[in-house]
Amino acid sequence: MTDPLALEPLLHELTTPPSPESTLRNDPSASDDDRLAAFTAHVHAGGKVEPPDWMPDEYRTSVLRFVEMHANSELMGVLPEREWILRAPTLKRKLALTAKVQDEVGHAQLLYRVAEDLGKPREQMIEDLLAGKTKFHNVFHYPTKSWADVGIIAWLVDAAAIVAQQALRDSSYGPYARTMRKICWEESVHIMHGRDVVVTMMNGTRSQRGMVQEALDRWWGPLMQMHGPRSDRDKDRDLYWRIKAKTSEELRQEFLGIYVPRIRELGLTLPDPELRYDEAASRWRYSEPDWAELKAVVTGHGPKSQERLEFRRLNWAQTAWVRDALHAAPEAAA
Amino acid sequence: MTLPGAWPAELTVDALPPLGQLLLSLADDEFVIGFWDSEWTGIAPMLEEDVAMSSLAQDEIGHARLFYDELARLTATDADAIAFGRPMGDFRHARLLDHPRTDWAFTVARRYLYETADAVRLEALVASSNAPVAEGVAKIRREERYHLMHVDAWLRRLAVGQGEGRAKLDDALRRLGPEASSVFAPLPGEEELVRDGVIAASLADLYGTWTGVVGPVMRELRLPFDPIPPTTGGRGPDHGPDFAWLWTEFTSVARSEQGARW
Repeated sequence: MTDPLALEPLLHELTTPPSPESTLRNDPSASDDDRLAAFTAHVHAGGKVEPPDWMPDEYRTSVLRFVEMHANSELMGVLPEREWILRAPTLKRKLALTAKVQDEVGHAQLLYRVAEDLGKPREQMIEDLLAGKTKFHNVFHYPTKSWADVGIIAWLVDAAAIVAQQALRDSSYGPYARTMRKICWEESVHIMHGRDVVVTMMNGTRSQRGMVQEALDRWWGPLMQMHGPRSDRDKDRDLYWRIKAKTSEELRQEFLGIYVPRIRELGLTLPDPELRYDEAASRWRYSEPDWAELKAVVTGHGPKSQERLEFRRLNWAQTAWVRDALHAAPEAAA
Repeated sequence: MTLPGAWPAELTVDALPPLGQLLLSLADDEFVIGFWDSEWTGIAPMLEEDVAMSSLAQDEIGHARLFYDELARLTATDADAIAFGRPMGDFRHARLLDHPRTDWAFTVARRYLYETADAVRLEALVASSNAPVAEGVAKIRREERYHLMHVDAWLRRLAVGQGEGRAKLDDALRRLGPEASSVFAPLPGEEELVRDGVIAASLADLYGTWTGVVGPVMRELRLPFDPIPPTTGGRGPDHGPDFAWLWTEFTSVARSEQGARW
């Protein structure tokens, strides 16, 4: 479901002329210190880094870790919603949900390609994920209980994600920034689908409204944890290298600013008595999210972490013969 | 007025006119295979195939909707009511589609048998005297062409291998071969459809055309292919335990609350 127009920003970016720093940082005869200084100046001036460019190891490792976790999250993120593909209650919902989950798989594919260029093969990334060596986002470690979860996930989990992803469209790593543009466009369609599911249920029966409120109550904690604890801007290396553009707290404030009014407008109640906008400080106040829970969840101790990984491991093993058959097929088969 | 999602209790599928029977068989086939194959979404053997299979399954559901919409006009109900509001025994998909997706070889084998049969059937409907059918089929054939290319490539890829894939493909084809003709099971009132030019030939004749298309490919690839001519009962009403499970799943939310919209 790629709109050709969505590719336009990519094409535009490809034609942007290189900055003067590009020459020095890519000059093999220059000293490492000079190249690092030129690279840093280039990135701080808003320049983009491309796969063939020289880059310091720390930058390469940081981008890889960041993109790999994002790819893992897209891949694991399909599992909670996938459980509802067979239960979608109308033809329209069936099509929208299957298309949404398909988009997430497509995002995983794109992101693994970005990560692969940095030197780690896709198979290795998938194996590390299955072995529990690498992480995926906290929200995908939780169970789903009703059709309302489909709405809340597509609306609010994707909304929280898009707030972060929109900021990543300015990432210093060019391929990641461009991939984010395509992903953001698709995520905005998901949000409309999710909101439509929620609105339809909120306009439905008392029991349907109850299902939505119950789902919101369960998802609010993980949503508030999703962007991570507040960090020190000066010590955050991902910000220093402009791999990302905003702090966790900036993203959370942005999410609250846009979505708290929209959630309340539908007659839903947010399960945090402390939640309010502090006019004087120009920021949202909220109960401290449970950071211990976040830490436990992302290290594989969430309510569904092991079950979902086990499901993926089993599936990966059961389909290994297909990948083998594909790689072994003689040319004549084509 | 009928509430969305509600199937009128007085409406039985056996009482549908011949055109209704045809639309129902086309729609149910696409709906059921679309549901089984959508189960690969998120867990296909590789990401590229995941995205591809998901597209195929969405196309099938889209085709089902098109035929259900047309049937809904005939029966003064709506597509969702037909798809989600009917009792299990009122489904009229081919017996070939009663099984779950199983493994990749089984999915490839079934998709090959079904897509080739569907292509023969659509060919016989493209010049239908019924304008909505002819228009719908023209639209569908544009997509089905790619479905055939996709499954043909996979059939050949697995067939030329000597390992586990080839053995699994052989097993699946042996199991499914005798059921493949259920796509061409006779429909109530079929003679009338042929006489009026709604369909270009009887389903029994189309079965003959299909074996003439598929037989040579199977021989070329040395794959098992032992079709048996279609019989009545190839489209239910008994669809077995796997479809019963699927029906329970896909109606679980839709039927959970009387009168609710989703």
